[in-house]
Amino acid sequence: MLLVVLSLLLLTAYFGEAPDGRLHGIQRDFLTVVSPVQDGANKALKPVRDLFGWFGNTLHAKSELGQVLKQTDKLRGELVADQAEKRSYHQLISLFHLDELSVGDYRPVTATVVLKSPNIWYSTVGIDKGESAGVRLNDPVINAEGLVGKVAQVASDGALVDLITDSSMGVAARIGTSNATGLVQPKVGEPNDLLLQYLPANTQANAGEYVVTAGSVAPGESLYPPGLLIGQVTSVNEESAYKSVNVHPVANLHDVDIVQVLTAAAGSRASNLGRLAASLPAGQASNSGEQLASTQVGE
Amino acid sequence: MNGAASGSLALRLAALAFIVVFVQIGAVSEVPVFGVNADLTSLLVAFVGLLCGSTVGAACGFAVGLLVDLALLQTLGLTSLIFTLVGYGCGRLRELRDPQATLTPLFVGAGASAFALIGYSLMEFMLGVDAPVSFELLRQIVLIVIVNSILALPLWALTRRVLEGALPEDPRRRRRRRTYTTGGLSPLSKA
Repeated sequence: MLLVVLSLLLLTAYFGEAPDGRLHGIQRDFLTVVSPVQDGANKALKPVRDLFGWFGNTLHAKSELGQVLKQTDKLRGELVADQAEKRSYHQLISLFHLDELSVGDYRPVTATVVLKSPNIWYSTVGIDKGESAGVRLNDPVINAEGLVGKVAQVASDGALVDLITDSSMGVAARIGTSNATGLVQPKVGEPNDLLLQYLPANTQANAGEYVVTAGSVAPGESLYPPGLLIGQVTSVNEESAYKSVNVHPVANLHDVDIVQVLTAAAGSRASNLGRLAASLPAGQASNSGEQLASTQVGE
Repeated sequence: MNGAASGSLALRLAALAFIVVFVQIGAVSEVPVFGVNADLTSLLVAFVGLLCGSTVGAACGFAVGLLVDLALLQTLGLTSLIFTLVGYGCGRLRELRDPQATLTPLFVGAGASAFALIGYSLMEFMLGVDAPVSFELLRQIVLIVIVNSILALPLWALTRRVLEGALPEDPRRRRRRRTYTTGGLSPLSKA
């Protein structure tokens, strides 16, 4: 009872006095005296604290691990989606710049590749734009890196594109700024490489030079606009009357996601030529126009 | 109890109180278990009361409370008041009921912790501390009582070991005496 009363008295007195009162002073003095002891105890007990802290942290970390793993999975998914978007964005930006450079006479239709030929030859891809979007047979198809191929079959909402490495392809092309024009075709036995042939014997060609579409440089016509990058010269062959060079396509044809179909306005020269090429018998339709063009240039 | 024995008990109690208070402040208060910190001081006061009786329990409670209030710059007298009641109550329990079950310290520790925490909260509210009475407060109290219950038996063993020999009346000795004198089953009575 005495101690309870004493406690109540202490409590009352402590509450009643100012912060610089006697009891507060005693409390401060006590703290001054025991501070070193408290400090020592604190240091001495640190290992114990750390030990318990370690257990606590381990348990806490274990409980957080599941959450972190879930979060990692979610972030990984987001990263993959972001990377895909970034890639598409870069391709679209490049296509946009390409529009400004050389395909002004055409009306580009941007399409997404929806199917790819699964075999190692990999010469055709399907796109999600067709006749309803203005895509016609033999329309050139490009991507950010350069020429990809041409439309081989068209449906109302889709089309099949023959890649430039397809055996049916032939593109009038020239090396760099040279006026000499030849015909780019897939290399026999190496379906992922191209051969620029029928070049005049005196044509200067060096490894590393770029091969671009010849387009309508000559009076003859071409399905493709001029200046589209096709590939890079890897080596030169001079064993025949005509010079030919090996070309490696610059477009990564195994990694094409977004393309542009260069559709021509109705009645335009490109449109007429495309219609003419389409009317030719199968097997000739693909490259007759291009051969004609290269022959005329060669002459 | 002679003067030497009571002096020895006071000395041991003082040492135990200092060590427990500093361990509480220096280590236990910084190691959260289930999000709360155990309170060894209320357990110590309860066990001293249970071992030494109401007078010593109340005195120990007052001293430990005062030490805590001084060391933590809390409202002087508040913890003393509550711990005095805890020590006295546990001492009275021993004097009136003398519970001998193995789990007695666990239940006494839990009850003492709950009483101290609820009493402390009520006193703080009465003194005008502006804290909301919420489910969180109740949760904290329940968790501290659970954690204290886990620590009760080891601390009971430690307290009994430290105070053994200086206790006013050894509980084991008393138990033995009761068996021999009140049960009528002593081998001596048969003879």
